[in-house]
Amino acid sequence: MTYLEQVRRSVIHRTEDVGALTMQLWVALWKIPRILPVVGKRRRWLAAVEQMLAIGVSALPMAGLMSLCIGFVLALQSGAELRRFGALEYVVDLVSISFTREMGALITAIAVSGRSASAISAEVGTMVVTEEMDALRVMGLDPVEFTLAPKYLGSLITVPCLTALCTFCGIFAGYLFLAFSIDMSFRAYFQKVFETILLRDVWLTIVKSLVFATIIVQVGYMQGLRVRGGPEAVGNATTAAVMKSTFLVIVADLIATSLFYLMGWSAAG
Amino acid sequence: MTNAKPNVADAVISIRGLSVSLAAKSVLDCVDLDVYRGEILVLLGGSGSGKTTLLKQALGLAKPTSGSIRINGVEITSCSASEMVAVRRRIGVAFQESALFNSLTVEENVALPLQELTRLADSIIELMVWMKLQAVGLVSAAKLYPRELSGGMRKRAAIARAIAMDPDILIFDEPSAGLDPIVAAGLDELILFLKRAFGMTILVVTHELESAFHIADRLAMLYQGRLIAVDAKEQFLANKHPRIRQFIDRQPDSVPGEAAEAFIAALAEEGKHEN
Repeated sequence: MTYLEQVRRSVIHRTEDVGALTMQLWVALWKIPRILPVVGKRRRWLAAVEQMLAIGVSALPMAGLMSLCIGFVLALQSGAELRRFGALEYVVDLVSISFTREMGALITAIAVSGRSASAISAEVGTMVVTEEMDALRVMGLDPVEFTLAPKYLGSLITVPCLTALCTFCGIFAGYLFLAFSIDMSFRAYFQKVFETILLRDVWLTIVKSLVFATIIVQVGYMQGLRVRGGPEAVGNATTAAVMKSTFLVIVADLIATSLFYLMGWSAAG
Repeated sequence: MTNAKPNVADAVISIRGLSVSLAAKSVLDCVDLDVYRGEILVLLGGSGSGKTTLLKQALGLAKPTSGSIRINGVEITSCSASEMVAVRRRIGVAFQESALFNSLTVEENVALPLQELTRLADSIIELMVWMKLQAVGLVSAAKLYPRELSGGMRKRAAIARAIAMDPDILIFDEPSAGLDPIVAAGLDELILFLKRAFGMTILVVTHELESAFHIADRLAMLYQGRLIAVDAKEQFLANKHPRIRQFIDRQPDSVPGEAAEAFIAALAEEGKHEN
């Protein structure tokens, strides 16, 4: 009975989380037009640009380096096997397909989740603790428009860009491997890459990266808003934000990829 | 409940039968309170007496379990979001932790409500910000960030932001908490000045007795979620309610040392019987 009770509670909690997240996402989407340049308020757009720098641009070195490393590891591991069959040049296919379809978006999401989900939840949590959120509401300013929407828009713009750059870094790592092992030329390598990758895969990856950006920002914000009490609660919120957003990114990846598979969008050619 | 009751129609904030329960625990129990135009009402109460909850209710930051709150004649427990915004425009709040936005300078903090809620030109906003900072004596700190300010300056900055929109009602949450006596006294004078100069209705929540008696026109006392007295200063000081006496005379609840001694004595007594 107690075990059943626990299960029941946990299910209710998760359902509440999903519900709260969905409502928050809806409100944020509703406010996005007010952030856009020209139609929205100029000050909000500047805030969004600031967020683009914080969420996207400053994540570039870390995410790019991660992609480079993982791309190289992937090339090394597959190269060791493929070499036995004398099919070393298939490393090109392997690296470029896995990065355009999967690794680019995933590595970016994990890097951004580690940096920004924590940063957002810490910032929002601190604002809750210091009553800044209450101050906003009392002044008649909408906290969602003021804090969440610029972050969300900033991430929606930068995460796909970051994904594209990370994908390039990963594929470039494949080139480094082949250049060292069989002296493949840059031109030959990238010619092969462009023969291999599909534009459809690139689009699907961008869709995925938009989903990942949504998860990271919304989960980070929600965890920050739930901070109650003192500064130690902010620490707990940051941990929860990174854990939950990383987990949800991977689950969403599974769901999206299964969906693409069922729709027949995964088959080559 | 109140003695010298002025024109009831002129109650700026009017709270009737306000009850709040959080997690099946009653935090506020049927509170009736009026704040009249142009007065300073000080709400006293110990920790956990429900004064923060009452404040949150009056600001519409939380919904009550039952009861009504009218601010400038608008029932805020059931009004629409746009009416709420209109009501809030007439209220300035200085929060306990000052709640300044850390990413903005003092100047930008004060300018924020003006930029967001009005269509004034930048030059006018600049002038208004300068006037507000002048009123609280912070012109020299205009370009500093909140983290670079001392506790007293932060409170002053918070007040400047609270009065930025020229509100009718000003609400202070623990204005002198954590400040040294000189700075706290300066803040009291500032509050009195705001009442004199702008005719604002001021509600102060505090547990600092000296400052409370210095600035208050009327005092109210919350104890365990109930309002046990609302009176003009003199009557309040003469109030015989034991809790109020205890509060004014600064008497502790029960002395832990005495309890411990009694316990040890009882133990010793028991030991004797066993022998």
